[in-house]
Amino acid sequence: MTAPVARIVTTRMPSAPEPIRLFYVNNVFRYSQSYLKREREFCQAGVELVGCNTPEADGEILALLISSLKEAGLREVRVDLGYASLLKDLMNAAGLDTQQKVSVQGLLACRDSVGLKKFMEQNGFPSNLRDAFLQLSRCRRLDEVSSISLSGSKYDKLNKQLGSLLELQEILADYKVDELVFFDFSLTKKIEYYTGIVFEASVPNLGLPLGGGGRYDNFIEKFGKLKLPATGFALEIGKLLQALTAQGSKIPESSKTKVIVASKFRDTAVKAVKTLRDSGVIASLEITGRSLEKTIEYAKLTETDYVVSAGSSLKSPVTVYDIKANVSRNVTLQTFLKELGGQR
Amino acid sequence: MNKKIRIAIPNKGRLKKPAIETLGQAGIEILEENRAYVSKTSDPRFEAIFARANDIPVYIQYGAVDLGVTGHDLIQEREADVLELLDLEFGKCTLIVAVPEDSTINSIDEVPALARVATGFPNITRKFFEKTGKQVEVLEVSGTAELAPKLGLAQIIVDLTSTGETLKKNKLRIIGTILESTTRLACNKIAYRTFEKQINELLARMQGGSE
Repeated sequence: MTAPVARIVTTRMPSAPEPIRLFYVNNVFRYSQSYLKREREFCQAGVELVGCNTPEADGEILALLISSLKEAGLREVRVDLGYASLLKDLMNAAGLDTQQKVSVQGLLACRDSVGLKKFMEQNGFPSNLRDAFLQLSRCRRLDEVSSISLSGSKYDKLNKQLGSLLELQEILADYKVDELVFFDFSLTKKIEYYTGIVFEASVPNLGLPLGGGGRYDNFIEKFGKLKLPATGFALEIGKLLQALTAQGSKIPESSKTKVIVASKFRDTAVKAVKTLRDSGVIASLEITGRSLEKTIEYAKLTETDYVVSAGSSLKSPVTVYDIKANVSRNVTLQTFLKELGGQR
Repeated sequence: MNKKIRIAIPNKGRLKKPAIETLGQAGIEILEENRAYVSKTSDPRFEAIFARANDIPVYIQYGAVDLGVTGHDLIQEREADVLELLDLEFGKCTLIVAVPEDSTINSIDEVPALARVATGFPNITRKFFEKTGKQVEVLEVSGTAELAPKLGLAQIIVDLTSTGETLKKNKLRIIGTILESTTRLACNKIAYRTFEKQINELLARMQGGSE
């Protein structure tokens, strides 16, 4: 959803005060070139923080990601983050051509350290960079990354990036989530798009990531004149549900009550349905002219909770048939609604 | 967490024996009958699952198993987003494009439009011909693609070869190479995070054995 959000920021919110914080929950359609039958529509929930490129912005997004997952009820949540710009700069420092870059990224993404070592030896990597690549593949803590440094002033920019993860770690510590965030140099997907950190969230019970995100400072400008740094994440709702199921959590079903209103007096019935709907009850009208017995039978088959039979006026009590309990009683519609409690 | 680490092994075919041997040398011996789908191993932290080599990449990607021994070609065919932790260097083979010896087609460039291609690797095949700008009809067969030209099913096949014997026997000639493959130790991306220590230990033992 980042592309539509970027378009909206550029075209509809050109003078919005920055930083801009946006969220969405939406169905996303993704065209896949693959001939395998992959799902092309899924529901995503995400946030974007636009107009700010401080480590604090990255920290806020990571902390929000973790608290969102915890709030959803997930246990043992972790976030692993890679560093797109660091990888790009390291590959440039090693003087790789496009094909070699693809190979290195592939080897990193596969975590094939034997293959990576071989490749670097065969392609004459300078030994300091070779060590940095191998060290980074082994690093898991952010402060381990920041303890790596390359000597020589031409590596100033690289060293600055390596060091910056220490600051991020300190910010995450303030949010009390630093223990849940790990470094992962194998996250090399879409590094052309991401300009800073890139991350994904997971839980041990599900073999697929729940979602992820990263910093994309050069993307929004593609939609217009605005050049705005941005960061954000998206979660796949389907995966979240799978993960919750895998850890044994019950997923609450819709708690809304279903009611059928039957009455010989159409105006009363229409009024009753409206009153119920206004209170958030799922109400429908008996329109077939079938008998009350048949209506109750229909209610059973359609998993309806109650059938309300009304007389000429809603001022007098209505008969409420509780389908599950198989009992009926007379109450006013207002009392019935009160008993149902808040439906919204 | 005291969950066992599940490692998938091909239940038949040319990869099965070397896979079991390699794991055995690394301290994971299969203890139970070959018939069993799930087998205990000599290392109580690991559990072996026997599955079709073809399916192993998908099992791994979705986390049904944590690790698996399978071919790089199969990982590519299934477009499985998995880690390939180690090249086990056995089961070497090449995915090639071949035509009957007497065919007039001598290179990929000469493949005529709408030619029929029989293969057990429909996904890689489609992508390969798409890249070369050739529109071909891909016929999926689940074995003995080399038979297809003889029966007039297809003029071209895409199949694996290791020694070239089968091709020679069936009077087929290679006109292009798509992919070189060996067997890999593949791993689910999330499982690697969960079991990093145990998996790295296993990797170290496997490398020690192969060197």
